[in-house]
Amino acid sequence: MKPSTLQAGTSNARKWKRLLRGELGLILILAVIMVTFSILSPYFFTSRNLLNITRQVSITLIVAIGMTFVILIGEIDLSVGSIAAVVGVATAVSLKASGSLTLALLAGLGLGAAVGLVNGLLTVYGKVQSFIVTLAMLGIARGAALVWTDGKPVSRLPSAFGTLGAGYLGVVPVSTIIAAGVFVLAFLVLNKTKHGIYTRSIGANREAARLSAIAVTRYRILAFVVSGLMSALGGILITSRLLSAQPTAGEGLELNVIAAVILGGASLSGGVGTVFGTLLGAMVIGVIDNGMNLVGVSSFFQQIVKGIIILIAVLAKRSD
Amino acid sequence: MGMPVLALKGIDKRFGGIHALRNVDFSLEEGEVHALLGENGAGKSTLIKILTGVHHRDGGQMLLNGTDVRIENPLDARKKGIAAIYQELSLIESLTVAENIFLGHEPATSFLGTIRRSELFEASSDYLRTFGIKLDPRETVSELGMGQKRIIEIIKALSIQAKVLLLDEPTTGMSQAEIETLFEIMDDLKKKKVNMIYISHHLDEVFRVCDRATVLRDGENAGTFQVAKLDVETLVQAMLGRSLKEEFPPRKGTPSREVLLEAREFQAEGMVEPVDFHLHRGEILGITGIIGSGKSELALGLFGASRTQKGALLLEGKHVQLPSPSRAKKMGISFVPEDRKAQGLFLRLPVRHNLNVAHLEPCETLGFLSGKKMQSRALRTGRQLKVVPLDPAMPAQNLSGGNQQKVVIGKWLGNSPRIFILDEPTRGIDIGAKTEIYALVNSLADSGASVLILSSEFREMASVCDRVLVMRKGTFIAELEREGATTKKIMTLALGG
Repeated sequence: MKPSTLQAGTSNARKWKRLLRGELGLILILAVIMVTFSILSPYFFTSRNLLNITRQVSITLIVAIGMTFVILIGEIDLSVGSIAAVVGVATAVSLKASGSLTLALLAGLGLGAAVGLVNGLLTVYGKVQSFIVTLAMLGIARGAALVWTDGKPVSRLPSAFGTLGAGYLGVVPVSTIIAAGVFVLAFLVLNKTKHGIYTRSIGANREAARLSAIAVTRYRILAFVVSGLMSALGGILITSRLLSAQPTAGEGLELNVIAAVILGGASLSGGVGTVFGTLLGAMVIGVIDNGMNLVGVSSFFQQIVKGIIILIAVLAKRSD
Repeated sequence: MGMPVLALKGIDKRFGGIHALRNVDFSLEEGEVHALLGENGAGKSTLIKILTGVHHRDGGQMLLNGTDVRIENPLDARKKGIAAIYQELSLIESLTVAENIFLGHEPATSFLGTIRRSELFEASSDYLRTFGIKLDPRETVSELGMGQKRIIEIIKALSIQAKVLLLDEPTTGMSQAEIETLFEIMDDLKKKKVNMIYISHHLDEVFRVCDRATVLRDGENAGTFQVAKLDVETLVQAMLGRSLKEEFPPRKGTPSREVLLEAREFQAEGMVEPVDFHLHRGEILGITGIIGSGKSELALGLFGASRTQKGALLLEGKHVQLPSPSRAKKMGISFVPEDRKAQGLFLRLPVRHNLNVAHLEPCETLGFLSGKKMQSRALRTGRQLKVVPLDPAMPAQNLSGGNQQKVVIGKWLGNSPRIFILDEPTRGIDIGAKTEIYALVNSLADSGASVLILSSEFREMASVCDRVLVMRKGTFIAELEREGATTKKIMTLALGG
């Protein structure tokens, strides 16, 4: 064999390896899981159930997209579940008080963005690791939701509010459409704008980003604001679906969300990751949850299986 | 003299296409301090890394007390009695002096495997007393000064009964008094038959503590000398050696007399003293000095990457403020930092990303970036700089050092800079890439841009720059025009020999 063809051969093999380790590998894993559940349950592969999965995944996906911005820039946000809960309460309370859906949504989203801003300011100007800042915020926001409601759910919301989380447009769940919109927007921002390039650069090498004349401080804070906003949207959808704001909503959400982002190929050290990967990661987790429920796996056992599948998927994608 | 403690014979080492060491000999006699000298890139670091097991030799012999040995890794080097002390300290700041000294080989443990602290402190006290150091072994290392830390590091090395002690630029960051203490300890160690290899850019230190000096040049031996019979002249000559060949492409253009940038009593964060200088339009100005002379701090300040504390900057006669790199970029200032991996590159991201990141505006329509435009710009810049291989989708970490450096420079070319600041632009890259970078510097200056090169490679300063400012301990001590700027002169001034 001539050296040139040999080289082409190995670089092709390398390309395939790279693809397999990336999104293609995740698609294969997803396919294997779906085929398995289709065999185990006749109900799994019906359009009704598949649409149902997209609805179930939508909240995780929306919050995970916010988390993708934070992880890409080299930080972490542990407070997403608590933000979702406190925003749910705030939205429900303002809806009942004002009767205006627009006002309630603005209040909820505004609160989420504000909490994200505080996370960002403390991380960047306070020079505290985001792990610690958002761990504290996880407690503070959850506590605020509990204190505000005295631990009781805020119920009897107007049924029109339920459309967002539980309604359908034709056969497609409204929350699926919202998640799809968020996905497209995030995809464009991360791949087609300066904001995306800068976010990735800062995560890959913050000092090099600073010395490439990138406004590092601004984008780092912005990442937490995006995450806060997405958590708020998630919290609003949870509240809408239940027609009730639970101060305990979204407990443990941060773990599912971080798992989805990491499964999607993002690196916790920053710079690497895509929203498409996050979408696949969220799908894998959603499909496992849904399938195991259909097959009738006990909910205690489900957690073990989910943990193992996440480990296998991440190990399979590791570079050798 | 008897058998040397350590003898390297005909050591050979290649890294890909680069022949880093060629048939190098080095010997360390009982009870001597032996200096290892050479310019940056002469092969000193490679030789040290072979000694400490970081790299493995391709050829030659290494005799330790007469037996041929192969050092597998740094731990193996320690086991065989070779201890190294680097510029970067390896102490654990949150532990006490005693714990650091005995880290990994604690003297006494109780039957439960726990460390007997009293014995640890006693053993440390003994050591400290032996070397006449007044320090409490219970003190936390983070409380100590740089000089004391370095001494603890040495004692730590000696506590493993090291036969060969390797000191790499040990006086970095130490005060004059601390340096003197270090030298006294070294004199004392010499009497105790500890053998030392001493690496330093400061020739005065070499004359103060060393018995012999071996000079490396381009990976080869350039002589071993008795320090007592040596003068600075001979030493510098040995370090420089060969002619300049075609390494430096000829400069065609001449700088204008018009001042583009002027610094008046300018002092940025991290600088020891304020400085004054001016940069002409189309000029290649060199600022030189050894590592630690304050060059990099000045460069960061001029790019707005560190806070201006004092003085003023004038661009075309007008006062300018540089609170951030983005402001500097808008003023047409570009900056290539000293450490390309830590400060210049996004190693895991594609070459295309790296080449476009500092100047995305031309690829933007209505706020959206065109992937096609980014690709073609990356290809154009890559071709202009002869980046090999030119694959815009490849992560930057897969490129060689020289090509990585071209990418760091390339990210600014789209900015049509008026002022190009290059900090150590050719450090650790091969001759071919160096020559290409010099040619680029020439063409930038010919096109009317002003280039400021900060470098500790004196030959480069003498051959590339229209004018050279020599910096020592944060201030300019000399200004040399091209005709007067010989390598020897620059080196002698910078080293203060």
